[in-house]
Amino acid sequence: MTDTKTTTRQEPILKIRNLTTRFRTDRGIVTAIDDVSFDVYPGETLGIVGESGCGKTVTSKSIMRLLPEHITIIDEKSSMEFEGINLATTSNGQMRKVRGNRIAMIFQEPMTSLNPVFTVGWQIDEALKYHTKLSRSQRRERSIEMLRLVEIPNPEQRINEYPHQLSGGMRQRVMIAMALCCEPDVLIADEPTTALDVTIQAQILDLMNGLKEKLDTAIILITHDLGVVAQVCDRVQVMYAGRVIESASVYDLFHTPRHPYTKALLESIPKAAKTRVKSARLPAIEGIVPSLWELPKGCRFQDRCSIATDHCIELEPDLITDENNRSVRCHTPITVNNAPVRENA
Amino acid sequence: MIKKFFKSRGVRKFLRSKMAIASLGVISVYALVALVVFAGAISLDDVTNRVGVERMPGFLQQPSRELRLQAVDLRLKAMESVARRGADSTPEEQRRMLNELSLFERQVPDEMLFDEYSTLVVSARQAYDNTGDAQLEVEDLADELVAISEELHEMKSEGASAEDISALKDEQKQMQVELASIMPELDSLIDIVEAKMLQIQPIPKGMSGTIYKLRLSLGTDAKGASIAMKGLYSVKIAFQIGLIVSLISVFLGSFLGAAAAFYGGWVDNAVMWLVSTLSSIPYLVLMAVLIVAFRGTIFDDAQKPGLALVPVYTAFCLTFWIGTCRVVRGEVMKIKELEYVQAATSIGFGKSYILIKHIIPNTLHIMFINFSLGFIGAIKSEVILSFLGLGVKGQPSWGIMIAHAKDDVSSFFFWEVLTATLFMFGLVLAFNIVSDALQDAFDPKHV
Repeated sequence: MTDTKTTTRQEPILKIRNLTTRFRTDRGIVTAIDDVSFDVYPGETLGIVGESGCGKTVTSKSIMRLLPEHITIIDEKSSMEFEGINLATTSNGQMRKVRGNRIAMIFQEPMTSLNPVFTVGWQIDEALKYHTKLSRSQRRERSIEMLRLVEIPNPEQRINEYPHQLSGGMRQRVMIAMALCCEPDVLIADEPTTALDVTIQAQILDLMNGLKEKLDTAIILITHDLGVVAQVCDRVQVMYAGRVIESASVYDLFHTPRHPYTKALLESIPKAAKTRVKSARLPAIEGIVPSLWELPKGCRFQDRCSIATDHCIELEPDLITDENNRSVRCHTPITVNNAPVRENA
Repeated sequence: MIKKFFKSRGVRKFLRSKMAIASLGVISVYALVALVVFAGAISLDDVTNRVGVERMPGFLQQPSRELRLQAVDLRLKAMESVARRGADSTPEEQRRMLNELSLFERQVPDEMLFDEYSTLVVSARQAYDNTGDAQLEVEDLADELVAISEELHEMKSEGASAEDISALKDEQKQMQVELASIMPELDSLIDIVEAKMLQIQPIPKGMSGTIYKLRLSLGTDAKGASIAMKGLYSVKIAFQIGLIVSLISVFLGSFLGAAAAFYGGWVDNAVMWLVSTLSSIPYLVLMAVLIVAFRGTIFDDAQKPGLALVPVYTAFCLTFWIGTCRVVRGEVMKIKELEYVQAATSIGFGKSYILIKHIIPNTLHIMFINFSLGFIGAIKSEVILSFLGLGVKGQPSWGIMIAHAKDDVSSFFFWEVLTATLFMFGLVLAFNIVSDALQDAFDPKHV
């Protein structure tokens, strides 16, 4: 944390290595995420994108250890290093100190993320009381300050209101305020804007961007919306059927996707009218994600891939990182011919 | 805090229902009575002591001539015995005797001298004896009338001539007229005796007068004790049982239900095993078993009526928490999957803290409703148990009142049953309306 923001590559604050989470179900044990590794650096926003069921949320909840204990198995070789603690194996007591204080989380559904029977102020205050030694009046001041920081108008009055008196966008702001009130080092935002309309979505994203710069918090943004990723993320990691298949900076990923799945995803984003070929249909990726019960032997994307070969069916590719710090899990990655001049990277 | 409570949506909705407000009023009257009784305003002696003749009807029904005469006779005998015994005593002794005579609340006035008292008693006795002739006459006439009506019936069935029948009918009419003329005479004679009695023992004025009237207002039971007092005293028993049982069973039920749903695993298995086992035992059977189990201990002593209720509390608490437990368990199962619970975990709170601070407050509306349902249930079950002789011991309760009065009902003496039933009816109805309104106001599904 002593590093300044100007250095591009600091020590990562959170190092995830070989994270494998399995669930016990009635049909047996299923692997929800398989061998996921990534680093999170202070002050950066890492996007995790993918279709429904690809393991984004399981990844985030595994980090927070929020998954129901009796049905979850986190593999022994997994490690999640955070300030010298391995979150995968640490005690529950230690974990409680990390949660909220050092790593906080925002949830998808703002309508149900706040307890309906307590005031907003009470709920922020409770978190502060648990993690800090501030006095009652100091906590109140801090709560008001946090609400002001997340741009809630008239926070002195709002602090005494109940969640049902606030709009969805407001509630999400309160959630962000609650998550940030103890100044965590890492903020995990699990689809924070999915349930909100586009205007509010933009406001919340701006807000998170601003807060990241003010508080130097690392953000892990989980979403299926590539537009959101383009707007706020520094780096992106694409997941497919429980595996990371591509990881790159936002600029690189959007301009020169290397995995066929990423490319297909990008092509399926509706374009603005000018660049769209008239009357052309929006391309979609054919087929469906393979069931986690019946994963193919080789590459998990083989059924839907337009360039799959026999090799792809036989052998699953490894995640290979190149000299530009881009990783891709493909036997025949799309080559970057004339890489565009990177201006801002 | 209180202001906020009254502003909340549920409370405002609840207060909008006029019936609910009225019922709350009724309940608070009952609660007040219970408090007053609890404070000791009505003692057990007040309830069991004789206040008059047996089976005296309440104020809406005139007591029959026989009852009035009986009442006068009862008082007169007591007065005469004092007059006899006190004739040779010292004035202090005489005064003490007169004070002790304060039969059924009515006292001999302090300023009355013993001689004066004795003469009044003698004249009352004379007045009473005067009624004797009229009484006899009335009795004779009544007997004759019965004989004539029997004769008439016989003649009709034997096919006697029309003249004979009409002659007999005329005779009957004549007798009826005669009886009707004697009746007021007898009544006025009784009035005179009663007036004399009032002179010796006037109806007290002020507070004690009100209490005297209240005691007799709903009549007396088979032992001459006041029915009104029994009914009022039973309010305390009802509240005691209702409050203790519903509080304990709601707390027990909601905490066990919440814990079962929240922790799952063996906790859930254990609680659900208890629920299914206990719910398969009817509380009547359980009660009978407990009575046997407690026999011979301090909980089986009519001299200590408070402790004698312990088996009742135990049986009710053991069976009543099950309903609450089931509902709360279901609700917590739903709530624990909601995101605010995960959000609380992600803030770092421990499991038990989340259960107590975040989940249980969200089931408060269920607790409210179950509390009022449990209250009614406990009262009704207490009445049934006491009727069967398994419940309350050594003190009155509505159930015991009904049990005692069941023989009187066949002879049209309905005051005791009616009193117990109406007292219970009022309370149960009010609680039903309130719990209905609570359900409407606090159930999130009714918006």
